[in-house]
Order: sequence, then structure tokens, then C-alpha cells
Amino acid sequence: METDLSQQLKRLRRRVRRIERAKPRPLASPENRPNGFPKYIQDWPRAKPPPVHLIDDMPEGDPEHYDAEKLLDGEVFENDHGTYFLSERLYPSHQRHGSMEISHLAELPPEYLRGISRDEIPAVEPGRWAFLDTETTGLAGGTGTCAFLVGIGTIDEDGFRVRLFFMRDYDEEAAMLGAISEFLGGYEVLVTYNGKAYDSPLLETRYRLSRQKSPIERMHHLDLLHGARRLWKQRLESCRLVDLEYEILGVERQGDLPGELIPYYYFEYLKTRQAFRLVPLLHHNVIDIVSLACLTAVVLPAFDSPVEADLRHGADLLGLARWLRRNGEDETALELYRRAIGKHMSEDCLFSALWESAMLEKRRGNRETMVGLLSDVTEVRNAHQLSAFEELAKHYEHHEKNYRRALVMTDAAVAIDSSPELLHRKSRLGGKIERRRKAKAASELF
Amino acid sequence: MASNLSLNFGEPLQVQPPAARNPLARRDGLLERVVEQMEALREKPNSPITAIRRQPAREGKFADLPEAIDQRIKKVLAERGIIRLYSHQAEAFTRISGGENVVLVTPTASGKTLCYNLPVLNELLEDSHACALYLFPTKALSEDQLDEFQGLIEAAGSDVRAFTYDGDTPQDARRAIRRRANVVLTNPDMLHAGVLPHHTRWARFFENLRYIVIDELHTYRGVFGSHAANVLRRLKRICEFYGSQPRFICCSATIANPQELAEALIEKPVSPIDENGAPSGEKYFVFYNPPVVNRQLGIRRSYIAETRRIAQTFLDRGQQTLVFTNNRLATEILVRYLKDTYEQGPIPGSAIRGYRGGYLPRERREIERQLRDGEILGVVATNALELGIDIGSLDAVVLAGYPGSIASTWQRAGRAGRRDSLSMTVLTASSAPLDQYVVENPDYFFGASPEQAHINPDNLEILISHLKCAAFELPIQDGEKFGPHDTGELCKFLEEAGVLHHAGNAWHWTSESYPADAISLRKITSDNFVVVDITGEPRVIGQVDFNPALTTLHEKAIYLHEGKLFHVERFDYEERKAYVKSVDCDYYTDAIDYTRVKILETFDSAAMVGASAHHGDVRLNRQIVGFKKIKFYTNENVGAGKLSMPEQEMHTSAFWLHFPEEFLGRLSGYAPADKKNGLAGLGNVLRTIGSLLLMCDPRDLGVTMGSDRESGAGEFEPNVYLYDNYPGGIGQSEPLFRSRRTLVEKSKALLVACPCGVGCPSCVGPVGEVGEKAKEVALRLAGELIKEAEAVAEAQTPLSRSGL
Repeated sequence: METDLSQQLKRLRRRVRRIERAKPRPLASPENRPNGFPKYIQDWPRAKPPPVHLIDDMPEGDPEHYDAEKLLDGEVFENDHGTYFLSERLYPSHQRHGSMEISHLAELPPEYLRGISRDEIPAVEPGRWAFLDTETTGLAGGTGTCAFLVGIGTIDEDGFRVRLFFMRDYDEEAAMLGAISEFLGGYEVLVTYNGKAYDSPLLETRYRLSRQKSPIERMHHLDLLHGARRLWKQRLESCRLVDLEYEILGVERQGDLPGELIPYYYFEYLKTRQAFRLVPLLHHNVIDIVSLACLTAVVLPAFDSPVEADLRHGADLLGLARWLRRNGEDETALELYRRAIGKHMSEDCLFSALWESAMLEKRRGNRETMVGLLSDVTEVRNAHQLSAFEELAKHYEHHEKNYRRALVMTDAAVAIDSSPELLHRKSRLGGKIERRRKAKAASELF
Repeated sequence: MASNLSLNFGEPLQVQPPAARNPLARRDGLLERVVEQMEALREKPNSPITAIRRQPAREGKFADLPEAIDQRIKKVLAERGIIRLYSHQAEAFTRISGGENVVLVTPTASGKTLCYNLPVLNELLEDSHACALYLFPTKALSEDQLDEFQGLIEAAGSDVRAFTYDGDTPQDARRAIRRRANVVLTNPDMLHAGVLPHHTRWARFFENLRYIVIDELHTYRGVFGSHAANVLRRLKRICEFYGSQPRFICCSATIANPQELAEALIEKPVSPIDENGAPSGEKYFVFYNPPVVNRQLGIRRSYIAETRRIAQTFLDRGQQTLVFTNNRLATEILVRYLKDTYEQGPIPGSAIRGYRGGYLPRERREIERQLRDGEILGVVATNALELGIDIGSLDAVVLAGYPGSIASTWQRAGRAGRRDSLSMTVLTASSAPLDQYVVENPDYFFGASPEQAHINPDNLEILISHLKCAAFELPIQDGEKFGPHDTGELCKFLEEAGVLHHAGNAWHWTSESYPADAISLRKITSDNFVVVDITGEPRVIGQVDFNPALTTLHEKAIYLHEGKLFHVERFDYEERKAYVKSVDCDYYTDAIDYTRVKILETFDSAAMVGASAHHGDVRLNRQIVGFKKIKFYTNENVGAGKLSMPEQEMHTSAFWLHFPEEFLGRLSGYAPADKKNGLAGLGNVLRTIGSLLLMCDPRDLGVTMGSDRESGAGEFEPNVYLYDNYPGGIGQSEPLFRSRRTLVEKSKALLVACPCGVGCPSCVGPVGEVGEKAKEVALRLAGELIKEAEAVAEAQTPLSRSGL
């Protein structure tokens, strides 16, 4: 059987070579792959990433210089599971990362964690927070995706320190995971960006596969993505970390590596053992973590005391107002809506703010304020105009019994969309007006 | 017209309206009289009835409830009136509880579900952590069995939790299922792509996995079975990682080699349990060949129309009847015919339904329930109803056309069978060669054992695909075996392909991709078309798989759904949608397609007395170029249309015969056109025999003729191809190549034995299609191909001759 398989493999190799020759251009994208071709051939040959030339003075000839520990600023450590590589970077307190001063991080009040987590996370000193980000061998998920680099940033008296736990090959994974576990033992809060959906389950899987206990279960986990989205999705097209870093912190990355190439760089390194290929990876991870920490320092205060939040954009205030409304804090939400409406923001945001605050006022029984807000919404064509006319029609019909006014509002709504409900309302109002007219005529008669 | 031979079972008897009839009440005498009439008809000369076989009623064999069964289960059984088990159920319980892997081979309606539910539930009741995995080939079966199992655990007052987990499971429910389920009902496709690659999330389940139930084992044959065997290799690897050693319980319909198949699939010793203890009523099986209406052209009366008449015979008598067809179109045409028939009563049109894959799941569940409850009298179905979906037992089954395999025919026939009264199956043959062979040679069917089911889990393509998935799931340790194979050399190959990397003592997955996504177990594109009825408010009325969609949903096609006609207004290829409007017309459409073949690589070649046989990879370009309009009932061609549809390209594997000019020169005295017709005729015969040898459906093999010479100045050196009708190929061409001699010998024998004059649908094809010389030339060709082979055969070892 085995020889048979070997024969078959030999034939397969020949076929693969033949197909390679026939197609000199690599099958770069999935679209180019021929339909119905055997899948193992579709994966072959692989698209090659562009060559890396970030370090021009790459030492040549001396294989020693290829070693990670020689080229990169770090050391090989050993624990019960074997060896792993650890590199450390310090951002001193006096340094700035974009608009944020690093020293500011240490001054963040522990209670800040409570507002954004709605009291799920207790007050913990910033010194016990760990900012974590992973670099992985793909985005596919599942047990075959591996975190080969785990960066953890912490705050201490010298500034912000990032430790990069790195496996120089797959056989160092267990040791790397063990070291991360041990290190996180000293920390209580885990801060990530999209970590609840991505990094955390991925690490859980890696720990389970290497039969170790995950350190994450024990920790409080703050996933900053959700707060950041609440604040900024109204005005920013993308809330990816790298975009917020540019928009909010004003940091412009130099020579950064597109995220989708990261697995290729690592695989190339595995194949060639050329450590210079890792430089952009490590750099990328460090910046992600510093930016995560600095954004945390922007997001937390806004959720801690929304009313005092130092937010210049109306859209950001609108985001906070919505968050408060969802939490049932109507009074504070209304105040933020009012502040948002007073600031500059897009028309979409403005009308949404007017409409949503009108509905909140309705809930609170402030009919007069509601009517004022709704009238503003009906002024020009916008996404809420129709609903606003309808609301006004309901208000005039049921609360003020002003059927004529209600009919005017209904007519305006019908002009936008003649739904059966609206037409029904219209005819009902017509009937009411007619009955009232008759009643009035009768009372005048007698 | 041989009207004296037409089927007439006498005047319909007094019929009760279906609403008033009790489906369980015996209707003595009605079917008995049909049998008598058929027997009388059988005696007439040139009778359309070629065989009537009787299976006598059989007493049940019973056994006491085993001691080890939990009291709670005993109580539930008692409530259901079960105080003893059928002998095979008791044997299954004892063997499974004793730790054996088993394969149960018992027919439909023999209580086989209880065979696995009993031991599984018994263990789950003993140990609340224990888990079991149920695998069914389709989602519909999982749903069906969940209801059954749920009923059992609820009645037992147990807190065992059972769930289906498949593509239809909502995302938010999945996490809860992974956390809480004791029993998961799923399919191999989901196991392959949705569970194993995420096994860490299922850690609790795999740690406690005690049983793996594989129902409908016989469906795991051919390529699908080979894939499934590799998925099971991966599953066993994962179980090993979590330290569990589950036992396997397999259930199969009747095939020739259930134990062999089970052992090939799970790669462990398996004990067969095949002595059926369930009682059954008397059964009749009748072969019906529609009368010849034109002897010269070999044309018989339409088997669809004859099926309708036979079905009517049963329906008129209030017998619950299931009609099986071999394709969607036939299903819809028959539904329409039967609804037309009963337009004036006595049965309401609503008592006749269609059932096929394209119907929406909700609609299908409703039909299944109505069948069980006796609310509907007749159902016309495709093989979608062949598997063990619970619809109860019926009075009569009519097979419109031979289902393609002996096992499948028995499986469908098994749907008829009341426990205590007569039941009946009628096979109506179409003019397809295979049908004619079967119905004219009843002993072939009744005498032969059902087909062998073969798998080849060591098919290199399939093996490598799953080894990739396995590496993704857990690194492959040095020296580790995958099935019986050493993995070293295979892993090195995958390293060359850039997806594996060796570190420490193991091979690791180093690709950003998710390999299971790229491997479909069934070689069928998951792509499908949605049919939108825009007669009124747009609404979705069905979904059609990619390939049939091209032939049934092209613009101007008549699409049939539940016997209603729709005109396709617009076919949106990009969006995978077809917009249809309800119409009233008297025709349906049949697409015309055109196929070209290009050889990509030849794997092996062998000379055949001047000609040659080959197998290898080919590329097929298929295009739907037009369609015919065919009138209902008369089958007249009433028009045609041209279409410009996107060309479909398919890479697959093929077996082919190459005929050099010199070889064809030996056939002197024939015009080139005759030779061409002879080759086409030979192709048809080779396909017929090929599908018998491969034990596949004839539709699994495509046949076409072409030349691989680009220039070919005046030369006529054609190839006759038999190709795998599936993208990527399903590994059928190598066995065909290996048994090429048998293939030609048997083809020759078929030609010699065929009683027709100058060719008929049973051999080379109808004369109208292949001309008057085709049979003669095909016979000569076949003879030439094996001319010296007899002599050569002497020198060959018996091993190489056994082949297929």
C-alpha cells in the first residue's frame, strides 16, 4: 500500500509541476483559480508576498545575524515547556504618542473602568491593567490559527512598557503561552481591541491545545472596541484601531505592514530563518498596543462622566447620548442630545439627534418640547421626516383633538409615502372633522 | 395499438372520500383483486407484465426486554405498548452495551431507530455527562430523528439534552448547544467543516463522547463515502486527543456488503446484526414494460403515462400510494397529470402532492406529516423520500423508471408494506437501456444480490485533502498514522506545497486558509438558484441546485412546481435568481446542451488491438444552446428556441477509447457516417455496462465523442469518452480503465443478446437517433477491440482479470 501511495505521490508531483509550467503566473487571487480544479492544486503554487527591504544594511553572509535574538532587541528565555523569545520596549513617561502624553496613562483613575463596563469591572489601579494584542497566522479562526506573537503593554513608573512574547517556531508555542500565563498572573484587567470576539477565544484554543490553563478566564476583560464604536461610528467610516489611531490620536504610521500580509511574513521567516523579516511584525504589534492604551485614555473618561466629556464633535456626543438612553439614563441622555444639537455635525446626525430626543421627551411626557423638536425634524427632507409627521399627526389627533392640524400633518406624510395606514388615518380624521362640523352645526341650530 | 394489452384492472370500486378513511383500517380485498387481474394479464401473449413476485407474510421474532435497561425506559416502552423487543433490537442492545461496534442491516419500518436509541439513552441515563454523536446524510433526517429522540427522553422524564447542529442552526444557538448538548445530531459535512476544525469549543463533548451513530450507512459509498471515512479518521484523532474511545453504531439499508463497508468506513472490527425480527405482511413486486407501439423503431408507450395509469389504479381504490421518479421534471409532470385526472373527483386534487429537493423545508415537513396522518393519498417524489424519513408505511409504490441500482430499488419498494395486510410495488420501465435490461431480465434483479458499496478512503486526492484538515485541527506528530498510512511522505509533499511546516516533532499547519472550506464532501456546488414568482407580490417558491438550474430555469423555460406551470421571465445568472410568472400552456421545455472535451493529462494508456484505452484528466465545456417545447401527453415537439447561456467549464476525469484511422479502416464497406454512428452507439452501450460495473447511476457517467487532434487534416481519429459527471472527478475512470476488457466484452454480449433488429434504446440507442447501421458497426467495433484478447488473456494472471 505504502509503495502504491509513493507511486501516486510521484505522479502527483509531476502533475503539479506540469500545471506550474503551464501557468507561469501564480494563481494570485481566488478569482483566478480554475473552476473545479482539484483543491490541493488550487493551493499550489502559493502567491508570494512582496520582498521585504525594510532594513537596507542587512548583514549578509553571516548566518548568526539571522537569529532573532541577535538581530532583534530581546532574549531567549526558558521555562518548564521549553524556550521562547521575549523582547521589551519602553515608551518613557515624557514621550508623546500622537496627541497623548504617555505619563497621562499612569494617572487614569481606577474608577474609570466602572462607567464603561456598567460596573462589571471594579476599580483597579492602572498599574494592574494589561493591554494585549496578538499577531496570528490567519483570520480564518479554528484550531489551525496560531498566535505567534503576543504583545502585552503595562503601565509602570518609567512609562509604558510593551513585552513581546514570540515563538521562533511552532515548538516554542507551549513555552510562550506558559510565560504569558505567568506574566499575566500579576495583572487583573485585560484590555484589548476586539479581543472578546478574536484574541481571547483564539488564545483559549491555543491553551487548550497545549493542555495549559488559560490565564484569561480569571481576568476582567475590557474590550475597547465596543466603547470606541459607540463614540465614533457616527462620524468615522471605520473604527479599526489603525484608523482611530490616525483620526483621534493623530498618529501616522511609517512603513507599516498591511495586516493581511502578517501571516506571510511569519511563514517566510519560518522558511528562511531571516530575522529581519520579523522587524515590521514586531513594530506593528508594539504600535497597536501603545495606540490601544492611548485610546483607552480617551474613551474611558467620556463614559465615566459623559456630561463633562471633552468632546468637540456633536456626533461623538450623540454616540454617548445613545449609550445613556439605552441604559435608561434619560435625563443625562437628553442633556447630551441638547449639547450635540448645538455643535457642528452632519445633517444625518443632526436630524437623528432631534428625532431621538423628541422621542425621549415624549417618553418623559414633555409634549411641548417634543412638538418643537418634531417640527424641526419636519422642516426638510430627511430620514425621519415621515415619522415626525406621523408623530405630530398622532399628537394633534389624540392629545390636542385638533383634527384639522392632524389632517395637515397626515397629508404631508401621505405626500411622502401613501401607506394604507396613513390613508386610513386620513379618512378617519376626515370622518372626525365631518362629525365635529355636524355636531357644531347642530348645536348652533338649537 | 395493441389495445388488448393495455392495463385495465376493471372498473374502479366504490371509493370513500379520503377525509373519511382511516389510514390504519384494513381495506381487504382491494389489492388482492388487483393482483388477480395482473396475474391474468401476465398470461396473455406479449404481456406488458414481465414478472410478478410474491413475498409471503412473515411472523415476528421477539425477545424479552434486557435486564440492563433502565426502569424509566421500560416504563416509556410499556406506555407505548412495547413489552418485548424484536429479536434484532434485543441483540443490538446486548452487543452494543457489551462494547462492540455494530452494523444493523434491517429493512425500513423494522424499528431500527430503537436499536440505537435504546443503548444510547440507557447510558446517558446512567451517566449525565455522557455524550453521543448522531450522523445522518441529510439535514431533514436529523430533524426527523431529533423529534423521535426528544419524544423518548421527554417521556422518560430525563434531562438529557439533544439538538441538531447543522447549517440551519442559528449562530446564537450554537454556543449553547456546544456547552450543553448530550446528543448532537448532525451530518458529515457539518462535522467536517463546522465542528472538527473548532474542536476546542467542543472539548466537553469530545471528552465525554461514548457513541457515534451512523445512520443510512449505505449512502456513504463512492466518493462521498471516501470523504466520510477520512472525516471519521479525523474524528477519531480528535477523540484520542480528548481521551475518549467512542463505540460506533451503524445502520444500513440492504446492500451486499454492509459489514465490509462499515469496517472500511470506521476502520475497526464491526459485528453485523442482520436477522430481522419484525413481522411483515404479504408483498408483491411487479415488473411492467409499457407496450411497444412501433416495433420498427422500438418505441414504447410513454412510461410516464403508464405510471400515471398504474398509480390511478391504486388511488381509485383509496390505497395510499407513493410514486417514485428519477428526476424533478418527471415528478412535476406526474403531479400535474394526476391532479388533472382527479379534477372531477372522486379524490380532491389536494390529496395528491409532489415532493422533491427543490421544495422549501417547511413545505416538505408538511407533506411528510400529511402522509403519516393519511391526509393525502398520493405523493410523487424523487429520491428525496428514499431515505428513512418517517412517513409511515404505504399500500403501494410505483417506480417510474428503474432507480438505477438494486439496493435503491429495494429501498424504495420498502416504503410499501403494511404490517398486517397486502402491499404492492410496481416498476414501470422507461425506454432507457438499463430499464429495459432489468425489466426484460427479471432474474437479473430478483436473483442478484444488491450492489456492493465501495469506498476508497486512500484515494490520494481525498486523503491529502483531509490530511490538510487534520493538520489544521492538531499538529501531526512524527510517526503518527492517518488511517493505515504513515504520514511522513505525505506531510513532506504538503510542505512542498507550502501548507505544512516541521518543527519540534510535529508538522504544523502554516497557511492562513481554512482547509475544510475548500473541500466539499459531495462534490456538488452549494450554489443554488432561487425561484421568485412575480405573478403577484414577489415570493420565493423554490430553490434549484446550480446544474439543474441551467437546464430548467433558463429564459423562456417552463418551470414546474407542484404541477403548476411557470414561465421563466428572467434568468439572473449573477444574482442566482430566476423570475417566473404563472402561465397556462400545454407544453413543457427540455434544454439542449452541447459538450466539448479537451484532454489535459493522460495518466495511463494501454493498447487494445490497434486501438487504445486511456484514462486521465479532461476539461469539459458545456453550453446550453437551446431548448425544445414538448407538448404534454402527446410528447410532440411543438417548437424550439435558441439560448445564449454562460458556458460551464468542468475539470473531471475520464476513461476513453481512441480509434486510429487504421483501426477504423478494418471496417470496410461502411460510410464514414455509419462509422460515426457506430461509435456513438458503442458509447451508449459502454455507458450502460460501465454504470453496471461501477455500480453507479448511469447519470454519474457522461458519454461524448470527440477528437483530440487539433489539426486532423481529413483524418478521422475519434475518441469515445466516459467521464465522471462531477466537477473534479469522482475516481471512476481508473477502475473503468482497469476493467476495460470486461467492459468491452460485456458490451459485446449486450449487443449480441439484444433482441432488437437494428438497434433500440436498450443497446445503441433508438434507430431514429443513431441510424440503421449503428448496432452492426458497434458490434464489429466491440469485436475488433477484443479480437486477440482471448489469446492474451491466457497469459494474464487471474488477479488482473478479476478487476471489477
